[in-house]
Amino acid sequence: MTALILLLMGVAMVVAVRGQRGIAIGLFGVSFVLAALWLNYHIVDVLNLSL
Amino acid sequence: MASLVRLGNAVGAMGIAIVLLVAFGMQFVLQELPCPLCLLQRVALVLCGFGFLLNLRFGVQPLHYGLTILAALYGAAAAGRQVLLHIVPGTGAYGSALLGLHLYTWSLILFVAVIAGVAVLMIMGGRPDHDRSDHQTALRFRGLSRFAAWLLIAVTLADALNSFVLCGPVDCAPDPTGYWIAKYLP
Repeated sequence: MTALILLLMGVAMVVAVRGQRGIAIGLFGVSFVLAALWLNYHIVDVLNLSL
Repeated sequence: MASLVRLGNAVGAMGIAIVLLVAFGMQFVLQELPCPLCLLQRVALVLCGFGFLLNLRFGVQPLHYGLTILAALYGAAAAGRQVLLHIVPGTGAYGSALLGLHLYTWSLILFVAVIAGVAVLMIMGGRPDHDRSDHQTALRFRGLSRFAAWLLIAVTLADALNSFVLCGPVDCAPDPTGYWIAKYLP
């Protein structure tokens, strides 16, 4: 999943450089939502903040 | 002042690419494989760099800075979570320290610095470049700006390949000991 998010961002950057701003920001949005969901998936464990 | 802001955005994009290259260096030279949260911090760096890249290509606009701040907050959440995982004495740490701090601690400091840097650029920026045509902004996208953008793109795509080789298409091991692709190589 991380590879897919990074690939999407790479594509978004190439699209931006080629001048398609709307599509690039759309791809950023998709990547950001996926990244947020993926972070949420990885932080479900309870934190121990004291001894 | 506009050229200074433009330089600031180029330095931001290049700085992020260089930080990602340092992370690559530690991975390959010290043989320290990144954990899932470490990879998510790399994702956050790439997301931050995207806002700088948009400013370089389309001119400075508040929307682009907003994307960078949003990405930096996301990165601070991922790095902060990892700092908290190891904050209790005796709970160990992940990876080697660099200049006395672990990479996730540097990462948290970096994301706060990105937010501060964007604030300074916005203060210096003055009026956004809404009135410039795409042709005008495309003409100014050369030299250092172009180099910074393509360096960031190259590092992002290399990171995508690295993540796939390390974790495969779905999930990464919490404490990886080898590359996922190695299982399929003779």
